Amino acid sequence: MPEPTTPVLHLDSRPERLREWLGGMWRFRSVLRALAGKDFRVRYKRASFGVLWAVAMPIVQASVMVFVFSRVGRFGAGQDFSYAAYVLAGMTAWFFASMSINAGTTSIVDAASLTDKVWFPRAVLALVPTAANLVTLGISVAILLVALPILGEPYTLRLLLIVPAAVLLVVFTAALSLALAGLYVYFRDTKFMVQAAMLLWFYVTPILYPASVLDSAGPWLDYNPLTGITGLFQYAAVGASVSGRAVIVSVATTIVLLLLAVPGHRRHDRLFVDQL
Amino acid sequence: MTPPAVELASVGKRYWRIQERSLIRSLVPLGKPRRQDLWALRDVDLRIDPGETVGIIGRNGAGKSTLLRLLAGVSQPTTGSLTIRGRIAPLLSVGVGFHQEMTGRENVYVNGMLLGLTKRQIETRFHDIVEFAELGEFIDTPVKFYSSGMFMRLGFSIAIHVDPEVLLVDEVLAVGDVGFQLRCFDHMRKLQRGGTTILFVSHSMHAVHLLCPRTVFVNKGGIEADGATEPTIARYHELLATEGEHDGGDAPVRVTHRELELAGGGRVEVVDQDRALTYRTTLRFRQAVESPQVFFRILSEDGTLAYSMQTTLGDSWRAYGPGEEAAVTVGFRPAFGGGGTFRIGIVVTDDDGRHVLLHDQSGPSFYVPPRLGVSGVADLGAAIAVDGESRTDHRSLRLDGKVSWSATEGEAVRS
Repeated sequence: MPEPTTPVLHLDSRPERLREWLGGMWRFRSVLRALAGKDFRVRYKRASFGVLWAVAMPIVQASVMVFVFSRVGRFGAGQDFSYAAYVLAGMTAWFFASMSINAGTTSIVDAASLTDKVWFPRAVLALVPTAANLVTLGISVAILLVALPILGEPYTLRLLLIVPAAVLLVVFTAALSLALAGLYVYFRDTKFMVQAAMLLWFYVTPILYPASVLDSAGPWLDYNPLTGITGLFQYAAVGASVSGRAVIVSVATTIVLLLLAVPGHRRHDRLFVDQL
Repeated sequence: MTPPAVELASVGKRYWRIQERSLIRSLVPLGKPRRQDLWALRDVDLRIDPGETVGIIGRNGAGKSTLLRLLAGVSQPTTGSLTIRGRIAPLLSVGVGFHQEMTGRENVYVNGMLLGLTKRQIETRFHDIVEFAELGEFIDTPVKFYSSGMFMRLGFSIAIHVDPEVLLVDEVLAVGDVGFQLRCFDHMRKLQRGGTTILFVSHSMHAVHLLCPRTVFVNKGGIEADGATEPTIARYHELLATEGEHDGGDAPVRVTHRELELAGGGRVEVVDQDRALTYRTTLRFRQAVESPQVFFRILSEDGTLAYSMQTTLGDSWRAYGPGEEAAVTVGFRPAFGGGGTFRIGIVVTDDDGRHVLLHDQSGPSFYVPPRLGVSGVADLGAAIAVDGESRTDHRSLRLDGKVSWSATEGEAVRS
């Protein structure tokens, strides 16, 4: 017999109210944690070196980039900071964003067999890659901190900026994942567009080079929402100059994405399944 | 009066069938998109009281899956409203949400949370889950090393230990060995007694018969019949039979009459294994055929051939001219040991069996309850003796329209 406290599910053609949607997200936070934990463990489970790979990948990638571009492009020349440390700081942010966004885009569609049977807010699925990569981000930041003195960059108070920079990075990545995961349910081109955009995005973000080397084209990069985020990381790590306008663009883009993605998910939460 | 556990008020669900949904078409409205409305469900009213067990039957595409999605709360109705009181959980088909690389234990936790349990609730149930799944120490092995049986038992075990107030069961009992199936049935009965509301979707009339006192027949997006299980299943079979009438429109041979009769009278929709049945059908020839051969076939629910008997090939007997009719009479006993729903089919060929002149698959269907302890298609009348003592139960399992197993004395012990 249902007691007075039994949950009542009432559905009609109207979408859920924002409060109900947020309540659902909160109630299913343990599912987010469980799925993210599963994602992370599974990724490295079969590998003999396990989580060491999570440590090694950003280092390897950054080393290759530094080796190639300090010779080819000579981007490091004439700066008063370590080029290698600069690249490592930018890569830390980029690595997290690109991995999470790529996986996040397809997350709802990939879980079709599950979403067909069990209800939980679909937004949870879109956030799983971001949440799973938090551990990797933590490891990367630790590596960065260890590497800085080795690369000749002393510890300063600036380093504390890593914390707000990481928060902005995570919220931005989560918001973009939410938006793209929802779009991909309806438009299957999204996946390929994201893959293509990621290739381009890496090079239009000042990661391998400081924006200043582009002369007059440099300020345009401020309108790339990742510029402000990587800029904060680079400023915190090596004191490279960061454009205030770029940071404002990053924050504003994040807010706009959230304002689009959250109502979108609220409205479509129980309609996504019809397209799978 | 307690409020119903499940209440649907004129619920409809519309899907868009857009010819090609693409980004470009949405952004650039060139002409009208060729959009087709498809109402998977229309004006469905349904009320299920707490503690009821209701079967949901219907052909593929009738709207069963859509109904189930709405009930599970994963999909939103286009019209009307739906209310479910109590925690609702689906009996997931085996392995949904499992990850191969993770151990059984890890999968139990992730799956349990997906089904709405808290970590603590899973901890308290963990022992029972492993016990029911008979996994023992294998619970800490990655599930990819599990046999399919272990995999399935674990998935099922999690699902039934969720203990929701409303349980959705979708065609999951069809898998697994008989022993496990029986235990699942036992467990479902336990849930029934404990007051769980169960919605049981199945193609197996057999299973519906055993579990559900009430059945809803979904057809063409609406509810065709809703009531006691036996008449509802009879209605379902009736409809299946009449809808096949158009078969064989321009075949050289047509069926003009079909009739299934039980010796001594009675309903033919449910037939015990030891009763004699007579199938009469009339064939009308549209072209001259010399010595036609007739095959009498019985197909089981999934379309596999359960039985086939044919007139002797090559023996010439007579020729039929256009417009002539042949009356075919087949007497048989439905001794299908494990029981099930069966359908009669007739195939007519020319005298050397090379050309098929008629393939009638829309004969009447009937349900045969299983014999106790028997599974498989045929009843070979086996008798098992252990150390000289008979260990075979020769009772037949019969249904008296209620949700109970009633075993009556069968035939004498076969020697």
